[in-house]
Amino acid sequence: MKKLFHVLVISMTAAALFFPGSVFADDPKARAIMQKVDDRDDGDNMTTSMLMILIDKNGNKRKKYFKNFSKDYGKDTKRIMFIEKPANIKNTAFLTFDYDSAEKDDDQWLFLPALGKTKRIASSDKSGSFMGSDLNYSDMTDRELSDYDFRLLKETKLKGKKVWLIESVPRSEDVIEETGYKKSILAVRQDNYIVVKAKNWTEDGGYVKIMDVKSLKKIEGIWVSTEMLVTKRQGKNVVHKTELTLSDVKFNQNFEDDLFTIRRLEKGL
Amino acid sequence: MYQNMLISEDRKFKTIIIQTQAYSQKGNEPDDMEGFDEDFDEEFGKEKPVSEVKRPKIYLTEEENGEFVKAAEKILKKHNLPDTGIYMAGLPAVSYFLKTTMLKDMRKFMAMAVITISIFLMILFRRISGVLMPLFIVILSLLSTVGIMAFSGAALKLPTQILPSFILAVGVGDSVHILVIFFRRFNRTGNKKEAITHALGHSGLAVFMTSLTTASGLMSFLAAAVAPIADLGIFASAGVMLAFIYTVVLLPALISIFPLKPKKQSDSRPETALSVSDRLLTSIGNMSIGYPWQILVVAGIILTVAIMGMMRIEFSHNPVKWLPEKSAIRISNEKIDEVLKGSTSLEIIIDTGKENGLYDPAILNKLEKSVDYMENEFVSNKVSVGKAWSITTVLKEINQALHSNDKNYYTIPQNKELIAQEFLLFENSGSDDLEDFTDSRFSKARFTIKVPFIDAIAFTDFIRDVTKYFERNYPEAEITATGMVSLFVRVIASAIMSLRISYSYAIIIITMLMIFLIGRVRIGLLSMIPNITPIIIMLGIMGWMDIPMDLFTMLVGSIAIGLAVDDTIHFMHNFRRYFEESGDAGNAVLETLHTTGRAMLVTTCVLSIGFFTFMFADMKNLFNFGMLTGTTIIMALLSDYFIAPSLMILVNRKRKG
Repeated sequence: MKKLFHVLVISMTAAALFFPGSVFADDPKARAIMQKVDDRDDGDNMTTSMLMILIDKNGNKRKKYFKNFSKDYGKDTKRIMFIEKPANIKNTAFLTFDYDSAEKDDDQWLFLPALGKTKRIASSDKSGSFMGSDLNYSDMTDRELSDYDFRLLKETKLKGKKVWLIESVPRSEDVIEETGYKKSILAVRQDNYIVVKAKNWTEDGGYVKIMDVKSLKKIEGIWVSTEMLVTKRQGKNVVHKTELTLSDVKFNQNFEDDLFTIRRLEKGL
Repeated sequence: MYQNMLISEDRKFKTIIIQTQAYSQKGNEPDDMEGFDEDFDEEFGKEKPVSEVKRPKIYLTEEENGEFVKAAEKILKKHNLPDTGIYMAGLPAVSYFLKTTMLKDMRKFMAMAVITISIFLMILFRRISGVLMPLFIVILSLLSTVGIMAFSGAALKLPTQILPSFILAVGVGDSVHILVIFFRRFNRTGNKKEAITHALGHSGLAVFMTSLTTASGLMSFLAAAVAPIADLGIFASAGVMLAFIYTVVLLPALISIFPLKPKKQSDSRPETALSVSDRLLTSIGNMSIGYPWQILVVAGIILTVAIMGMMRIEFSHNPVKWLPEKSAIRISNEKIDEVLKGSTSLEIIIDTGKENGLYDPAILNKLEKSVDYMENEFVSNKVSVGKAWSITTVLKEINQALHSNDKNYYTIPQNKELIAQEFLLFENSGSDDLEDFTDSRFSKARFTIKVPFIDAIAFTDFIRDVTKYFERNYPEAEITATGMVSLFVRVIASAIMSLRISYSYAIIIITMLMIFLIGRVRIGLLSMIPNITPIIIMLGIMGWMDIPMDLFTMLVGSIAIGLAVDDTIHFMHNFRRYFEESGDAGNAVLETLHTTGRAMLVTTCVLSIGFFTFMFADMKNLFNFGMLTGTTIIMALLSDYFIAPSLMILVNRKRKG
């Protein structure tokens, strides 16, 4: 069961370092922590409204509004997203089947209302940007812990909460290729196993993406990060920023299976 | 779309374009753990965003560029197969190879020039001390100047690379002027102390005046907007003054320490260089005294021819042409320019000023027309475009892909919504690519124009014409030309422009100093004739030999001017003194030629031959530098041997009559 935001953060975990099978031996303590992060209940049958604000280096903002639905099918997840605003791209919609199995590439479809057509999107490479934001598709999907080596760097405090800083490094070039990250450092809160901050080093372009959870709320007993700021930097310079805000978060909705079909994708909300 | 961009028309060549970052990453390497600092955001809600650190933007440094090219070269070597050719080209590669080749050649030929100068000093003075002492002054001045440079943190760039040659010329000039007078006196009297005093008294003031004039002339480089040229102005001036101080302070001390024996002039072989020169100097003097008008007429004819040549000079700056024809980077550049229609590119930013401005089919259609126009019709200063592309190229591809790859859909959709959605599709696949074509607000379009590597001056026109075209066709948008080429061209063009201004200042400063030093306006102005004549002849040679006026030529011109002015000052200073002593112009001319004239002859021989060694360089600009500077030095001597005396004879004769 994955909630969009938790998934985002876990995926940071996905990020990774240069040398596959490198000098970093896996640290069992760090792995145990990451296992708990992975096992944490993140709800199911979820619906949210999402506001995405893209901020360029000159401070210009662009807003996009989405309506998201997601449902777990065993270990797989199906997700559908409709764009509500701006008007130019209203009703453009995405359908994603996120398969747990490593062998099977995820399925993705995009519906363009102005064309009245649905396009299937190849998804073996997840390092591409999600909707022009500073997140990529790998940030949106669940990642296998077995793909990474973890190392506990230190314990510290962030915003008054005790956290573990864990470094995660992909074990293979394939993982680096797929996620676009060669290394990550994650800050995991000790009281609730939520990743509240993550830093990812991109393989291409030499960027660093810092994902910072600005607001964390308990909704229906489940921790949800409702505000997140993603900052993409090159060295010390900010290149781009993305602000994500979730509202109307609801769990355990009664979704019909036909919500996650191309027919629904084309029909709209 | 990829033809002429990634693959050649005959499908035999493909290219990989590597784009370097425009800005330096020096000091921009953050700590891995930054942002996870305990104290940093300890207090909830008071967190400062980690990211808002503003730092000044510095363009990619030469070192970074060098490292980059070296890394690329290494990769190429790894992939070199026997039956395929790999070529590396483009501005970063050119500037790197240029810099390394220049440094190597400069060093090599400086060493050669020093050796030649030493040999000729030996021949002319026939004393070890006559070689060692000038070299000591030169080396000391050079070390001090470089020391000051290092201390002030100025980097050795193309303009400052000519510093060693400059100081070599000045240092040799200063010390030889003192030494010639000293040895002549010493050989006659055998009294070292008296000879030193005499030499300093005779030429010390003139050496000070030449140093002051040259340094002041160089100061005009400070007006240059381009930092390395302003640096050259400061440090070359400093070097000139240092050489002067060492010459008047250290040289006498050296002479005192050095064990020296006077050489009797009469007893040794009469046909030595010095006694031949005695006869030569006398006959030159007699010619100027006897036929001043004739000399001036001949000079006038030569000047006319030179001025005609000067009119032919073209401003052009194409560093690729400096490289020898067989050099790998020149071949690569020419190959890529030939098969792929361009190794460099110009970027035009069309800013609609409106968010989503590029969703408008009207503007996209216009961009599409511009691509077509640029590729097929646009010509500026004989330069035509190899390939042009913009966001429309991408949009057409997406549109075609969305229509089952039907070629009929390789077009721009005429529906705002569809355009927006197709862009979203692209944005969604990887915004990094999109950044190459537009900004995240879709308000600016980037228009890329690939062109062959041409000279900076032609590029200036090209960029101006391209910008004009866009401004005319997109009146509602703001047009900016950018990219490496545009940056390079702007730097070079502004350097050349500011050097032109600097030289005008230099001439004015020198004229004023000449008037001030001579003490009479009319004579001061007249002395500018022998001053400027060698420069005009040099420009004439450039014009007739089709040597373009580029940044390097303009920089080395300062050496020529400095030396030409020195000769005139030495002549005028001594002429005036002897004229006041005897009241006879003819006598004063002969007297001047036999004392200072001899020193001028020695410095001219030594320095011109020293600079002529640069003609063995493979690099064309160094060859031209050697040839032009050497020739100017000789012309300066000739004009002070013939034109200056003739003018003085005529002026003083008239006054008497």
